[in-house]
Amino acid sequence: MRFKFVHAADLHLDTPFRGVPADSGLTGTFQQATFRAFSRIVDVCLREHVAFLVLAGDLFDAKDRSVRARLALRRELDRLHMAGIQTFIVHGNHDPLSGDTGALGLPDSVKVFGPDWEEVEVRREGRVLCRVQGISYPEAEMRENLSARFRRTAPDFTVGLLHANLGGVEGHANYAPCTVEDLAARGLDYWALGHVHTRAEYVLAGGAVAVYPGNPQGRHVNEPGERGCMLVEVEEGRTRRRFVPVDRVRWHRLEVGLTGLGSLDGLVAAVTEQVDASCPDELEGHAVRLTLTGRGPLHRELSRPEALGQLEAELREQLAQRHPPVLLESLRDASRPELDLETVRLAGGFSGTLLAEAETLVTEPEALAALWAEDAELRALGQRLRRLGVDALESPRPELVEQAGWQVVEQLHEEEVA
Amino acid sequence: MSGALRIDVLKVHGFGHFSGYELELGPGLNLLYGPNEAGKSTLLAFIRGMLFGFEKRGRSESRYEPEAGPFGGELWMRSGAGPLGVRRVADRKGKAAVTVLSPEGHELLASRLDEALAHVSRELFCEVFAFSLDELSSFEQLVEEDGVSRALFAAGLRGARRLPEVEKHLEKRAGELFKVSGKNPELNQVLRQLEEVRGKLDGLKDRPAEYFKERERLASLGREQEEAEARQERMGRELGRLSRLEAALGDLGELARLRAELGVLPELSAFPAGGEARLEELLQRRTKARADQDRVESLLSKAGTGLARLSEASAVREREEALRLALGAFTARAELLRALPGRRAALEARRREVEQALGGLGLEVDAAGLLALELGAAARGTLESLADRLTKAEAERREAEVALGRARVECERIEASLARLRAERTKLPDVSAAELRQRQAALSRSRLLRVEREQVAAQRAELQQRLQSLRAQAEPEPGAAPAPWLVLMGAGVAVAWVGVLALQGGAKEGAMALLGALLLIVPLVLGYVRSVRSHQERVEAHAERQRQRARELTRLQSVLDTQSGRLLGLERELSVALSEAGVAAEASTAGLAGAEAALAEALRRAERVEHLGREREAREAERDGVVREAQAAELAGRRADARERTLRAELAGLLEARGFPPELSPQRALALWRDAADQRQRLADLSADERALAADEAACDTVVSRLLEEARAAGLPPGLVEAVAARVSSALEELKNQDAEARTLRARMDEWAGDRVRLTRLRDAEEQTLAALLARGGCTTEETFRERARQAEHFEALTRRVRELTWRIEAATGLEEPAVREAILAAGGEEQLKEKLGQLRMQEPACAEHLKALHTEYGSTRSQLERWETDEEVAALRIQEERLRARAAELATRYARDRLALALLSRARRRFEEEQQPRVIQLASEHFAALTAGRYRRVFLPAGGKRELRVSDARRDWSAEQLSRGTREQLYLAFRLAVIQDFGETRGALPLIVDDILVNFDLERTRGTLKLLSRLSEHHQVIAFTCHPWMRECFAAEGARVVELAPSSGAGVHALPSLIPSLARSA
Repeated sequence: MRFKFVHAADLHLDTPFRGVPADSGLTGTFQQATFRAFSRIVDVCLREHVAFLVLAGDLFDAKDRSVRARLALRRELDRLHMAGIQTFIVHGNHDPLSGDTGALGLPDSVKVFGPDWEEVEVRREGRVLCRVQGISYPEAEMRENLSARFRRTAPDFTVGLLHANLGGVEGHANYAPCTVEDLAARGLDYWALGHVHTRAEYVLAGGAVAVYPGNPQGRHVNEPGERGCMLVEVEEGRTRRRFVPVDRVRWHRLEVGLTGLGSLDGLVAAVTEQVDASCPDELEGHAVRLTLTGRGPLHRELSRPEALGQLEAELREQLAQRHPPVLLESLRDASRPELDLETVRLAGGFSGTLLAEAETLVTEPEALAALWAEDAELRALGQRLRRLGVDALESPRPELVEQAGWQVVEQLHEEEVA
Repeated sequence: MSGALRIDVLKVHGFGHFSGYELELGPGLNLLYGPNEAGKSTLLAFIRGMLFGFEKRGRSESRYEPEAGPFGGELWMRSGAGPLGVRRVADRKGKAAVTVLSPEGHELLASRLDEALAHVSRELFCEVFAFSLDELSSFEQLVEEDGVSRALFAAGLRGARRLPEVEKHLEKRAGELFKVSGKNPELNQVLRQLEEVRGKLDGLKDRPAEYFKERERLASLGREQEEAEARQERMGRELGRLSRLEAALGDLGELARLRAELGVLPELSAFPAGGEARLEELLQRRTKARADQDRVESLLSKAGTGLARLSEASAVREREEALRLALGAFTARAELLRALPGRRAALEARRREVEQALGGLGLEVDAAGLLALELGAAARGTLESLADRLTKAEAERREAEVALGRARVECERIEASLARLRAERTKLPDVSAAELRQRQAALSRSRLLRVEREQVAAQRAELQQRLQSLRAQAEPEPGAAPAPWLVLMGAGVAVAWVGVLALQGGAKEGAMALLGALLLIVPLVLGYVRSVRSHQERVEAHAERQRQRARELTRLQSVLDTQSGRLLGLERELSVALSEAGVAAEASTAGLAGAEAALAEALRRAERVEHLGREREAREAERDGVVREAQAAELAGRRADARERTLRAELAGLLEARGFPPELSPQRALALWRDAADQRQRLADLSADERALAADEAACDTVVSRLLEEARAAGLPPGLVEAVAARVSSALEELKNQDAEARTLRARMDEWAGDRVRLTRLRDAEEQTLAALLARGGCTTEETFRERARQAEHFEALTRRVRELTWRIEAATGLEEPAVREAILAAGGEEQLKEKLGQLRMQEPACAEHLKALHTEYGSTRSQLERWETDEEVAALRIQEERLRARAAELATRYARDRLALALLSRARRRFEEEQQPRVIQLASEHFAALTAGRYRRVFLPAGGKRELRVSDARRDWSAEQLSRGTREQLYLAFRLAVIQDFGETRGALPLIVDDILVNFDLERTRGTLKLLSRLSEHHQVIAFTCHPWMRECFAAEGARVVELAPSSGAGVHALPSLIPSLARSA
């Protein structure tokens, strides 16, 4: 029998956007975006007359302590309930079962999976349409490979709903770790995964698929591009998947090359051009991080104290007045002077030694770790940051050494330090 | 020392006690010798100040600013890039800006000084290149302070000149970002804000948990509230019921009393309501109906009388219709009747007028004749056509006459012109112009031929002259060839000489003589051969020239012959041309000019004759044309005349046929025709008007006679017809009025009769009603009815009151009266009811208070929940937290990058030291060994540990502190010299300036040091200061240029201009 369902994950309702200045005037628009994205997912369900919706964890973030998030969840699920559409939910590391989910009072058509494996039949006209299996995180920390508990019980189309890190994706905590082979071995037809915020699909041995739909609304600069949910159509046991964007504000990382630019006006024009090309009109807003790259004469002008800050403020004001408004998250200068590092390296001398030393540290993590550990101030700062939940200095980053090397060589070759 | 920086001249304008002082220095080793206070340290400070700037004000001991006069001076140097000067003179504020000068005095860029100093820092220069004894021994301290160490190190580094600045900059920047125990650095501030925000968030606790807890509480409050409300409602109901019963108690008593009173009265509920008033009203209405009936009766009788009067008979009434018709006919024609005499008079006047006009026309017909004439439109058209054609014929005739006249005048004019032409022709001769032109051409050709003849004659004369001169140019023959006798004679003498000598002196002498003879004869023979060859060349040249001359003579002779032939031909042509022109062959040039003028005049006349002939022909042709035109005009005139006569005859016939004078002109005939036709029309109109008037008069007479007849019959008095008509009219009007009045009266009588019937019926009805009323009241008379009516009124009031009270009790209690009584009894009677009511009234406020409190709590809980549902505080704090985290992460990354950069610099420096620094250390070892005469072999920096200098001999090593003062100073000197040498090799040689640094050295080590300095001075300028005479001698022994400094009071002044040009020259 043919049917459709929608797969979404990592709603993170009411989770604050990172890098949105408090006084930007766009805070409200951005803060409402996660709600509107979820509302659009429900719209998609209603429009497409789907059989059910699966939500693969991290519906909200327990640490946000948001009452609004919980109420919005209930309100939207009520809409689906009224339309006779079932919802299947598992909880992830950000909204584990130990939280307050029981008090929500969700409608009867919503099935929230418990901490143990469960399977539910989806019926239509008295026949089994599909089977949905799932496990919720009882606590935030889940290091067990939960996929091992899933199993096929009948020949019907079976969906596995799980919040997990497939293949140890970097940038996400390694919770419920599993591999492609683990999933393939369970014999399910569709793995509805959550946790990794970037959309991805894995074709498993035997024709099954494991899908991360990504989060439906990007919330910081590391979640750029369009975001949404996955509309899955099942026919004769085969799936046809279509990604449906639902985000209302979008993040972009834009790079503007200084090469060939002779004036700040030219730079502003180049930025405007980039923004025009990248930010479509139909959304409610955009947030961009602009990085200046390349080599050019403007590098020197921008290295003056406060010059970059002034340019950033001016651009921010200018972009905010566009329609739809564009929020400038930050303006970063990664441009370089007209200095050829390779020539410096080959010329030897102190600069050559310095670049060689930097290279050594980049290629030898132990040496870098030792250097990192030697610096008491860095250590103290790292500890303080960790206490405050900032993981910027958790581990030494080789690219920082590389950048430091370039920076020092450039300064050594400059005529005067600004 | 090429390329090294060297100081040539110091010119002190004012510095310390120096004023206007000038000092010249040489390359290599220089010693400035002078006693104490001669100004050695001052000059060292001056050199430093000139190169790097003076000390700031406030540090007077090292600034050396004089109390009065200028402060500053000049320094003249030379470097690899050439000579240059440095000038620093302080302004009023004490600032001494640097001016870099070329030898010519032009200002150069300040960077030239930096370049000359190989970008050395002031710090490094003062510590390593220009130092005093104190600074030499304080090196150790500076090493500890790390500043010089870095500078020394940097001095040894290639490509890291800015290392100290970069390190400082990085340290400063990192310090601005974060300090472990700092408050103000940016990251510290961000972290503090983040901690505050987190504190606030912690203060808010777990908001969703609280929310769900509060929601539970709200639900239980809701339930409690519902219960309390139900209880309160019950109590309220009971209280209301009892209160109502209490309120009904008074009314119940009143009701019982009224009922008793009612029981006394008879049953009067059926008595008509308001009976007495109704009786009075009925009686009044009956009286009024009777009065109305009487009034209508009297009106009817009056109307009957009036009607009889109006209906009486009369003669006028009997003939009313006939009178009305006659009067109508008369009135219709009254206007016409009045106009009849006027119309008759006007007709007569018009007839007379027409007859007069007819007479004025001058026609011989009367009115009847005129009317009989045929003057219709067809006849008039014929007349007009005739008149038109006649006018046209006349115009044509006149036009032909004018044309004829004009042709005749033109003919006369042409004839006159022809006569004038003939007269002029007779005055001119008969000569052919073509012949004259031929003669003129011959004359001009003869003039050209004459000129050509003269040219040819001149050329011929010139040729003859050249021929003669060529013939006259005879060249002498070259002389005979030189004779060979002198050679032969010489040869003979030589042979004789040889022979004599051979005979006399033997073979040897003979051979010698032969050799001498050969030496004499060979030049002679050679000279002879050369002269013979040159003679032959001359002879050949002469022969060639003679051949050329003969060829030229032949050529000239042939040209001359040609010219002669041409001259003869020209003479012949000239004579022919002159004869053609009719001029004598011998005529002069003037004669020719005269003949030419005469020919020109004759030609002009001949041309005039030709022109006159052409003119005459043209005039004659013109005259013939005019004559033809005149003949044509004459013919046309005759034709027009004939046509005019025919038309006139036709016109006369037409006019005569209508009685018009036949001789009239067409226009006149037409005008007369128009007038006659007009009069004829007027006559016809007049006859028609007369006929109409007669008909009107007859009609009017009939109408008048009928009117008069009818009036007489009606008995009206006779008179003029108008008066009779007026009387008839007024009689008819009066009759009409009477009829109208009778009709009105009749209508009123009908109305009144209706009223009489209605009033009769009304009176009967009133009588019946009154009887019925009395019957309903159970009475027979009006008096008894009135008595019963008063009793019924009282009965009614009591019944109404009883009803009211019953309603009030029902309204107050919601129960019927018996039920109320039962309820009071059920409550235990009146007393107990009041008691119970009092209790309930006391309980009610407490219950309401409780409910209110519940409401308040419920409301506040609910609003708290609603607040939390829409609360932005947590979200705002979370946004702030994330923003601060992002900012902290960014700043931390920047800080980490700077820290890593510093660590990287440190590591790179260490590595560089290990790999690259041995050169400086090696030099230092060599120098130290030389200074200590081999006592110590090696200087080194222990790897990885503290950055200190150590020395060693073959067996052990020492730190600097372990050495004696002199040896330690030698170590530091050796290290400095090593750096200076390395700096010189890698970047540029700078001068070394030392102020009495050798005082702690023994004699042997002093000499060793001087040797080292002497060797160094091969590449670096060395300037040493001392006050010790023995030192002076040592320096002198090493070949130093010694300059004595006078004591402070006697500083010498040299003329600067003498030095600068020498610098420029040497550059």
